[in-house]
Amino acid sequence: MRIFHRGFRSFRRNYTRNIIVVVLLFVCLTFSMSMLAVKLAADNQMQTIKGTVGNYAEIKLSSAYQMKQFEAERQRTAAERAAEARSMTTAQEQANRVSDLVPATLADEFSKDNHIQTYDEVLETNVTVPGLTNTNMQQLFQLRQGNGEGQGGGGGGRGLGTGGMTQNSFYFAGNTNGASASDFTTGAKKLISGKQFTYEDYKNANPVVVIEKNLASQNSLKVGDTVEAQVSGASGVASTIDLKIIGIYETVQTQQQSQSSSSSVSSFNPAGNEFFAPLSVVQKLNSTPAYVSLGSYYFDSVDNTAALKATFKKDASGTGDKYELATDLSDYQAIADPLLKARNTSVIGLAGALGACAVIILLAMVIIVSNRTRELGILKAIGSTDRQVIGQFAVEILCVCLVAIILAMGATALIGQSLGNWLLPKSTSTSSQQAASQSAPGGFGGAASRFLNQDNLYKNGGRFSFNSASQKQQAAKLNVVYRGSLFLYGILILVGISLVGMAIPVFWIIRLRPARVLSME
Amino acid sequence: MTEQEILSATDVSKTFQVKAGDVTAVDSVSFTAGRGQVTTIVGPSGSGKTTLLYIVGSLEKPETGAIEVAGSNILDPATDLVRYRRKHVGFVFQFFNLIPTLTALENVMLPMDLAGVSPEEQNRRASELLDGMGVSGRLLKARPNKMSGGENQRVAIARALANDPDIILADEPTGNLDTATGRTVIDILSRLAHESDKCVLMVTHDESVLDVSDRAFRMVDGHLNEIRA
Ligand SMILES: Nc1ncnc2c1ncn2[C@@H]1O[C@H](COP(=O)(O)OP(=O)(O)OP(=O)(O)O)[C@@H](O)[C@H]1O
Ligand SMILES: [Mg+2]
Repeated sequence: MRIFHRGFRSFRRNYTRNIIVVVLLFVCLTFSMSMLAVKLAADNQMQTIKGTVGNYAEIKLSSAYQMKQFEAERQRTAAERAAEARSMTTAQEQANRVSDLVPATLADEFSKDNHIQTYDEVLETNVTVPGLTNTNMQQLFQLRQGNGEGQGGGGGGRGLGTGGMTQNSFYFAGNTNGASASDFTTGAKKLISGKQFTYEDYKNANPVVVIEKNLASQNSLKVGDTVEAQVSGASGVASTIDLKIIGIYETVQTQQQSQSSSSSVSSFNPAGNEFFAPLSVVQKLNSTPAYVSLGSYYFDSVDNTAALKATFKKDASGTGDKYELATDLSDYQAIADPLLKARNTSVIGLAGALGACAVIILLAMVIIVSNRTRELGILKAIGSTDRQVIGQFAVEILCVCLVAIILAMGATALIGQSLGNWLLPKSTSTSSQQAASQSAPGGFGGAASRFLNQDNLYKNGGRFSFNSASQKQQAAKLNVVYRGSLFLYGILILVGISLVGMAIPVFWIIRLRPARVLSME
Repeated sequence: MTEQEILSATDVSKTFQVKAGDVTAVDSVSFTAGRGQVTTIVGPSGSGKTTLLYIVGSLEKPETGAIEVAGSNILDPATDLVRYRRKHVGFVFQFFNLIPTLTALENVMLPMDLAGVSPEEQNRRASELLDGMGVSGRLLKARPNKMSGGENQRVAIARALANDPDIILADEPTGNLDTATGRTVIDILSRLAHESDKCVLMVTHDESVLDVSDRAFRMVDGHLNEIRA
């Protein structure tokens, strides 16, 4: 108590000297605290981002493999293709059917990795529904008749192909649980009546389907009605399955691609012509029971990407490079990189500023103590213990640092955000990426390269969609808000520099011999 | 040592190592000083007076000898020197050595504060002591640099008395004062000895103080000789 009183009194009475130190410390501490605030904000935002981006993985046909197939396909003439199709045996046909798919066993095996948190399997294919007409197919066929047999006949990828397509072909997306289909989780599509198919429907292969609003109204279909779908490659009694409509959805958001190109694969499957059904049902319709287009996974954190890649490498050994594990790491990087840069800069700045604080307090104490040796000698001569002198100085230094840090915290609240904005690299990636995808040349080449792009993840709001711009926008701003941890770090810094500052007086006080200073003039 | 002789130094020697060689500032010095007396040590500059005084005040350590105060040897390693400085000795210096940021009153209260006296008691006693020294009114709140040399020295004497020590050690207490002011300071010190029964040990090169001294020693080159009993 007395020590506090004496220390505080000393702090007040030596105000000129102490104010100079306070001001110097204040400048450095403001810089330190602001840097710290930026670092904490960046860390926090990175953590949030890690919760949503960079933690998605997909097992699918590798782009290298697809490219190779596409090239091979392009070399062949239409006549060769037709001849091959005619001469194919049933076994060959089946092999051909699954050649562009992923074995479910591979997808299952991978799901056992400890980092995996959710697991879905997806099969996307074209299914003939004889009673309904796909309006887009109709247009396409008309277009083709006008142009002749142009441009290689459309997509090899993901089991699609116009080979067996008719105007009654519809795009079917199957997964293990309708509600978790990415179109619905991202809000691109919304159920407006009926219900979604469930995991139970998938387990029991219940023949149910969810269809689009416009398609339903054009064909006077409603929930509870039945449509007949054809099983691929089958004939006779078992060649059709009656699908019961259990839900109707609407398309909330037009996907990027639908506006961007004329003949890309995506425009085969515009909003109205997409069916959602249990994976097991789509597998039946496609005659590919143990195969999927992709395995879809959410895992714990982007930090474990390498571990998952290793697991995949092990699981997929022996399949060459036919399958790949794609993740949204690049999305994560695009979003997190500016934050990471800002964070690293702020850490360097913080270290520098704290170093400056230490130097300032040390130099200040050397000057102050050497100017006050007589006072130290007097205190000792009139019966002060070393501890009392040290304690008084400690309180005095603590007061100096406390005032400086309180002012610095206030100043940080004022300038932290601007510093954050200044440190955050201006992100040009958002616009450039969009520009790149927008300007992709029409025609198959451009479409294919985009189609084969790793960024085309099921996660991102549909099979062909790449839409994380909104997340980028969100990350492009660093919210340097005041948080409790900043306050705690402030106290830590306060204690730290006070201790550094104490080193000089402690050394001096213990060493001081009062007899040396008391007779000085 | 008689009942009166509270302080007794025996065969005390102190040598400083300097570049030019050893300097024996205090050479086999023995003397005693009693309560109720002004004991004065005179001698030329550099004869070792201050060194001897600091040894008695425990601020310097001699190589040999014994300093007995109230029956115990302060050079015994077991002695609590902080307690000794608080309870037994009070210093008065040539250059006052008041703390510049504290007022007259606060300077006098400080030794009591360090010794754990309650703030009210500190205030009461400090005011009383200062009053006895003729320091009162606005001077209580004055800083040392706003007071005259004589006032400074009177505040310093009050501070030396704060914890009611047996011994007052005064090193050239008039060295920085004019003759008249120096006289009043000497008067105060002799009153402390004669009226308050303190043991006043004063070192100076001003031989005129010998008049008011009860005992006197002369120091030359570290050697001490009594000149009047
Ligand atoms: N810390 C020290 N280191 C080295 N020599 C010292 C030290 N203190 C005193 N001396 C030397 O010891 C001798 C005695 O010094 P001291 O200060 O005791 O003399 P003094 O009689 O008080 O002189 P003055 O009248 O000038 O105050 C001197 O020669 C001085 O140079
Ligand atoms: Mg001297």
